Amino acid sequence: MPKHYRPPGKKKEGNAARYITRSQAVKYLQVSLSVFRRLCIFKGVFPRDPKKKVKGNHHTYYHMKDILFLKHEPLLDKFREMRAYEKKVKKAMSKKNKDLAERLLTRKPSYTLDMLIRERYPKFIDALRDLDDGLTMVHLFAALPAIERENIQAERIHNCRGLSLEWQAYVSRTHKLRKAFISVKGIYYQAEVEGQKITWLTPHALQQVMPQDVDYKIMLTFLEFYETLLGFVNLRLYNSINLKYPPILDPRLKALAADLYALTRYVDAKDKKDGGNHEESELRLAQLQDQLPANEPGALMHLVENTADENEDDEETTACKTLFKDITFFLSREVPRESLLFVITAFGGVVSWEGDGAPFEESNQSINYQIVDRPTQSHRFISRDYIQPQWVFDCINARVILPTEEYMVGKVLPPHLSPFVDNEAEGYVPEYAETIKRLQAAARKEILPMPGGEQDDLDNAQNLLAEGIIDRAKAKEAAERKRKMEVFQAQYHEELKAELEGKTDTSTPTTPKESKKKKKKEKNVDDEEEEIEDDGNLKQFADDNDNMSKVAMSRKKRRLYEAMKISQERKKASVDTLKTRKKNIQKSKKTTSD
Amino acid sequence: MKKEGRKKLKDEDLKPVEKEDVVNGKEALSGSEDDGVESPVVSDDDYGSFSEGDDSSRNSDSESESGSEQSEFSEDEDDENPINEGEGDLSDGVDDHSEGDQSASEDSREVVDESDSSEDEVGPRNTIGDVPLEWYKEEEHIGYDVAGKKIKKKERLDKLDSFLARTDDSNSWRKITDDIEDEEVELTKEETKLIRRLLKGHAPHADFDPHAPYVDWFSWDGAKHPLSNAPEPKRRFIPSKWESKKVVKYIRAIRKGLITFDKPKEQPRFYNLWGDESSSNEKGHGLSYIPAPKTKLPGHDESYNPSLEYIPTQEEISGYQLMFEEDRPKFIPKRFTSLRSVPAYEKSVRETFDRCLDLYLCPRARKKRINIDPESLKPKLPSRKDLKPYPTTCYLEYKGHKGPVSSICTDTSGQYIASGSHDGSVRIWEVESGRCIKIWELGEPVKHVAWNPLPELPILAVSMGHDVFLLNTGLEKEEDKMISDLLHVETPTSPDESETAVSVSWSQYDKYDGIRITHFKSVSSVEWHRKGDYFSTNVRVYDLVKKKFIKKLEAGVREISSVSIHPGGDNVIVGSKDGKLCWFDMDLSSKPYKVLRSHNKDITNVAFHRNYPLFASCSDDSTAYVFHGMVYSDLNQNPLIVPLEILHGHRDTNGRGVLDCKFHPRQPWLFTAGADSVIKLFCH
Repeated sequence: MPKHYRPPGKKKEGNAARYITRSQAVKYLQVSLSVFRRLCIFKGVFPRDPKKKVKGNHHTYYHMKDILFLKHEPLLDKFREMRAYEKKVKKAMSKKNKDLAERLLTRKPSYTLDMLIRERYPKFIDALRDLDDGLTMVHLFAALPAIERENIQAERIHNCRGLSLEWQAYVSRTHKLRKAFISVKGIYYQAEVEGQKITWLTPHALQQVMPQDVDYKIMLTFLEFYETLLGFVNLRLYNSINLKYPPILDPRLKALAADLYALTRYVDAKDKKDGGNHEESELRLAQLQDQLPANEPGALMHLVENTADENEDDEETTACKTLFKDITFFLSREVPRESLLFVITAFGGVVSWEGDGAPFEESNQSINYQIVDRPTQSHRFISRDYIQPQWVFDCINARVILPTEEYMVGKVLPPHLSPFVDNEAEGYVPEYAETIKRLQAAARKEILPMPGGEQDDLDNAQNLLAEGIIDRAKAKEAAERKRKMEVFQAQYHEELKAELEGKTDTSTPTTPKESKKKKKKEKNVDDEEEEIEDDGNLKQFADDNDNMSKVAMSRKKRRLYEAMKISQERKKASVDTLKTRKKNIQKSKKTTSD
Repeated sequence: MKKEGRKKLKDEDLKPVEKEDVVNGKEALSGSEDDGVESPVVSDDDYGSFSEGDDSSRNSDSESESGSEQSEFSEDEDDENPINEGEGDLSDGVDDHSEGDQSASEDSREVVDESDSSEDEVGPRNTIGDVPLEWYKEEEHIGYDVAGKKIKKKERLDKLDSFLARTDDSNSWRKITDDIEDEEVELTKEETKLIRRLLKGHAPHADFDPHAPYVDWFSWDGAKHPLSNAPEPKRRFIPSKWESKKVVKYIRAIRKGLITFDKPKEQPRFYNLWGDESSSNEKGHGLSYIPAPKTKLPGHDESYNPSLEYIPTQEEISGYQLMFEEDRPKFIPKRFTSLRSVPAYEKSVRETFDRCLDLYLCPRARKKRINIDPESLKPKLPSRKDLKPYPTTCYLEYKGHKGPVSSICTDTSGQYIASGSHDGSVRIWEVESGRCIKIWELGEPVKHVAWNPLPELPILAVSMGHDVFLLNTGLEKEEDKMISDLLHVETPTSPDESETAVSVSWSQYDKYDGIRITHFKSVSSVEWHRKGDYFSTNVRVYDLVKKKFIKKLEAGVREISSVSIHPGGDNVIVGSKDGKLCWFDMDLSSKPYKVLRSHNKDITNVAFHRNYPLFASCSDDSTAYVFHGMVYSDLNQNPLIVPLEILHGHRDTNGRGVLDCKFHPRQPWLFTAGADSVIKLFCH
């Protein structure tokens, strides 16, 4: 009898009944694959792996309950209706029944994803938790060009841009930004909204590469969902700080609203007229205030700010808010304005820029830092520092105002480190991270001894840790080494002792061989340092210990242990390569300097 | 009152007309006969209008009806007297009326004044009928009574007086003036209630049930024919042509745009979807939702300006090309000197797309990730110090053999050790000195050597090829004679040999004064008989006394190379050629109690110590393991197995390591025979 034989008349059971393959599911729902895909994306249905794959390994399996869930989705009917409608239109067109076609075109069936969002995210916090991908996608599409061929419409791109700006405006207004990191892929931001850490990536504001082998339909389906989601999230967030959503713009602006660039310019212009020194997004918020009964936007702004202050008792938020307080920045033409505007205002700074609509001119005396990104700066004001944009990002990640010497114009910048890495868990701390740590400590008015004299004395690893010179990882390492040594030594002493006793016990005539051996041993006792130095022996000993405990383990545990060891090894190997590279670099530096 | 009326009607079965009943009831209500048909009229003005509007024929009908009624009433009056008598004045009055024509107007008026309800029986005093009262406006009388006498108008109170009277009298609101009779009528409580009910649109009587179950008076059962023979009219089942025409007209108008509808009101695109958070306690539908894992956060190497050590050297980058596609790093760090020189990332769309694919195509499952120190997985073993003594270090080496030492054996006293080698020699060594005492050159690779377990008969059995030699070692001087005698005998009665086959030939081996036993097949091992009851081969246990098969042990390993029995007899260890060592507790089960995966290569031999709770295994990976194997006499306690020591020292020769291991019978010492032709003694 074959393995999966089921007698006729007996129902399927177990995995065979519970899971169906994708093609089966498509057939079951009586839809096309593309509609099925759309449904899956909208509903958040994903394949699940059965314990036993009845149809084979190369299939994708869906849980039957998921498929039934899709089957009862009203959207499925809607999609069918849309398909029927398209057929009708096509038929009318091909029959040259223009009247009918036109009439049909006015009655296109439409659908909304509102209830799906509610269903997938029953609570607002759930939506926030799942916002990362949505934000990244929306920010990416905001930077893409409109392509007619791929059905990427300009309208949607404008919408994406609007949504992303609204989100950024909220984050910077409420000072929720925590980390920012310039990577090769773009700029990563991390905000903390309602206790959720939300990370998103914005591409560098340049012409994006559009690969040909990407199915944009799938991306657009995802985007459709994310746009709706972000719209609802933005509304909720704006309402939470007592603002109307969507931002209702001035009727005079509405004519320009089609082009967001024109709009921002207008906003800038208005800002200039008001003489305020708010950034663009803040101005957008100020625009909202116009709708409210009071006439003076400035006063209202302060009102909103005050209420916001009362609400937040979060320590970190206040720390973020005051980082750039009373510091005025000026952005040069060549620096990425949008991201810096966002970041600096999120940390409480005041910004202006070179170009139209800037709140104040370059010659303004109150400017503390001018951010430039060019090899040399010809004309300089003495009262301000000319720094490169990385300084801002390093400052906000370290939460201290770093000294500007290393970030001056034309200088080779110190490395830009990721704020998302736990150095100690990784086991390798870059040099500059330590420098920053010292600076942070100094900012906290703690005086720490300078590093450099990294002592090799392993005994006081603990003390070192207490002093804070070396970090935990190193201390651990040292302690580990020390402990191992101790174990070996103790073991060795015991062995020697045992041997001596044994010798007295037996006290039989010894062969020359043995005596020789003994002599050797005795010699070893004399200089046991040498013995310990004997690497091979030690290694053997460690191996033996390792093996011995492995022998007594059950198979399951042993496998687990081995897997863990492998991952540890891998981690260690990567750290080791970093260390060797660093050593090599230092060596080469020395030789060049010599 | 109504009841009364009804009773009477029931009595007079002559007129079973329902309408009449209603009329009567109404009459009783309103207190006037004429307005009995329609709505009850309370005010005088209403009455007037009513009478004006009514057509005369109906009036005459009702008049005649009432007339006939009256006559009938009067006929029955005598019979009903007893009933009416109970009603006191009222019925008296009636009697008066009906009795004779001599009734005076004053009397009747009095009677009427007392209770208007008596009018039902009496009928109207005034006989003018339904004529406009204006006709009598100028007259002094209001009409004529039955006898044709004028009824005089009463004196009216002037307005002031009537007003005063009304204010004085709390019941004035009940009083209404009957213009025809020219008298004031006071409504009773019941009557006002009735009026109220009628005004509200209810049935006049409280005990009338408008929703009483319908009683079908028509008996359908017996009816064989339909009530009507007419065929079903077509209009009942054909859609209306007129209607469809109208619809078409509208449709055309809509299509042409002549009729426009209001556009649906635009809803705001976004609204507070989640509402009040506290109210939303609904559960998600379907299966549990597994959120997708978040994307990995960027490390230092993804920075646009990473530390120098994160950037791979040119050699490393070229080395990546040699790697497998999967192993190759996805991202190669790069360093840009300034932010303005950073180009657009060419894979940003691609990576987002891949993420999308992952989100909807990757199967998701919850997996437990344990974050523990791997060292904590190791079992807690008792300290090895407490389990001493056990062999740890190489104490002596016995060198002399020229080929791999295949087998060793200690004598019962533990003073000597015999070894057989592939070079065809058998040697006897003194254990403590390491001196070689005796050498036999047998010319063929020795497979196995074994001492006689009886200490007084130091005979050595050696197996090689097809032969087994029994050799006199000559170590015990006194017994030497006896042994040589024993060995000299050419009968097969001498020492028992466990593996004697049927086809064995005994012969004297002259060279070393021993016995040569020749088998037809090659002998792989010899074993002297011990006093034990059991002898176990690989996986089968036999009762040797009863010559019966007892048990089969399932080791679950590939090929078993060696077996050793615990001196207690109930525990067996089995070494296999896949490097596993199985401990069987025979009382427990036929499955291994514990499998120890110690060696990487074949286990060549396993051995128990006779006295100490020790056992050892040796293997071709040129190591030997020493274990602590404590068997408790308490049957409830499982044996304790602790790995103690790994003994190194032998060298790997031709892929073979340690070929044999034996414990010293008294001391916790281990002898190992290696393929490198060395025998080693490990001491504690």
